[in-house]
Amino acid sequence: MAIRKGLGIGSMYYGIGYGFSRADIGSAEIEMAEDGTTTVYSGACDMGQGVMTVVTQVAAEELGIEPEQIRVVAADTGSTPDAGPTSGSRATFVQGVAVQNAARELREEILDMASRMLECPRENLDVHRGEVCEVGTDRPMVSVGKVAHQLHFHGRRAAAWGWHDNTTQDVDPETSQGDAYATYGWATQLAEVEVDTETGRVRLTKLVSATDAGKAINPVAVEGQIEGGAAMGLGYGLYEQHILENGVPRTASLAFYLVPTAMDVPDIECEIVEVPDPRGPFGAKGVAEPATIPTTPAILNAIYDAIGIRITETPITPERVFFAIQEAKSRGEFSDD
Amino acid sequence: MKQRYALRVNGGTRETEAEPHESLLDVLRENLRLTGSKKGCNEAECGSCTVLLDGRPVVSCLVLVPDAVDREIVTIEALAEDGEPHPVQRQMVEQGGVQCGYCTPGMIMSAYALLQENPDPTDEEIRFAISGNICRCTGYGKIVKAVRAAAEEMGNEGT
Repeated sequence: MAIRKGLGIGSMYYGIGYGFSRADIGSAEIEMAEDGTTTVYSGACDMGQGVMTVVTQVAAEELGIEPEQIRVVAADTGSTPDAGPTSGSRATFVQGVAVQNAARELREEILDMASRMLECPRENLDVHRGEVCEVGTDRPMVSVGKVAHQLHFHGRRAAAWGWHDNTTQDVDPETSQGDAYATYGWATQLAEVEVDTETGRVRLTKLVSATDAGKAINPVAVEGQIEGGAAMGLGYGLYEQHILENGVPRTASLAFYLVPTAMDVPDIECEIVEVPDPRGPFGAKGVAEPATIPTTPAILNAIYDAIGIRITETPITPERVFFAIQEAKSRGEFSDD
Repeated sequence: MKQRYALRVNGGTRETEAEPHESLLDVLRENLRLTGSKKGCNEAECGSCTVLLDGRPVVSCLVLVPDAVDREIVTIEALAEDGEPHPVQRQMVEQGGVQCGYCTPGMIMSAYALLQENPDPTDEEIRFAISGNICRCTGYGKIVKAVRAAAEEMGNEGT
């Protein structure tokens, strides 16, 4: 076996949300019960991205209550307002703000009523760990549940509605100039590969990823998104080949369409870069798709570093590398030693 | 034609009627309502239907019901004891090894089988043991971490 090692870097930026004037709206309802349990009705559907966790944390943080007091009812067309799809790396960035707006408004309702109950100026009050306190202290004066009870007693709901419109301007149709997206994610990855020059097989042996998350609301979930995204990027780069013959898929099974396994994905070192974005909830923005994008370029550059040949087609199958090496050899541009 | 089968599942015996060509997975899910095992690809590629058969992890979509008779079947439903999750289950949650959750039951069964046989596996051995279980969300890193943490937790319990 003749193994050659190489290092490569891939960098990218990516528009977060839908951009180009496409409707990009989040909305949520929030309601507090008399024991302080707070239900968020959020249209964002969680398919593993962690948006329910983000919604829980954003609502708890903004309201000043514990995450354990939050219940999320998600993605039920019968009871939750529309928040658009969980796609375009937009769920945290768009729906997060809608939830934050709803929680902020509910907090105002709570403080308003608490101010009347405690006969204390509204601006002197704050909510901390589920209790109304005097600003700057955490001495509990009355629980949020009791305030919700008072609201109900006065014929009011302890509830609020939050909406957020992230729809941007379109670019100039003539010049394509303009700011197409509300914000952009940035990521750089460093790949280490081994290329077997006899078989053409490429292995990714190490990946370091630096991703701008704005603010990591849940760092473990952010890492999960980055690692999962990079694993998809690896699949796109090395394994996942969709073959159509006269319109008939020839790779219509996981036996032929190769998705990376635990033995293909190396240790991924995650560096989360936090540059707060003023338009996201607590400065957060999307990270999911940005993590998939630089992986393949980093691998391609690492292969070039290892064998001095530019592969220009993905997935980088052993056949493609093998024949690229043979071709380079026939031109006298590659030698085994 | 439907036949009667007595299956030894999760420490008890369950009687059921099924066609001899039905898979163990279908019988577990449809007849016995043990829906923890998932039906992903139904052709032994994804591993989400993994159960233990006489202590070894198998893809239950490829086991015919008659072949499961007189053998010990363990499904994900049997791992928690008295409502307490098994260390592998708990660590999958703790370490962030669960995202969409679809691969999780099969992943846990493969990891559980590994730890029964090898209580102190290396990361390489963990990766090999779960290599038949495809996960599209996590990139596997946190799952490997969870299995390692579960091994440590179980080792500490034993001493």
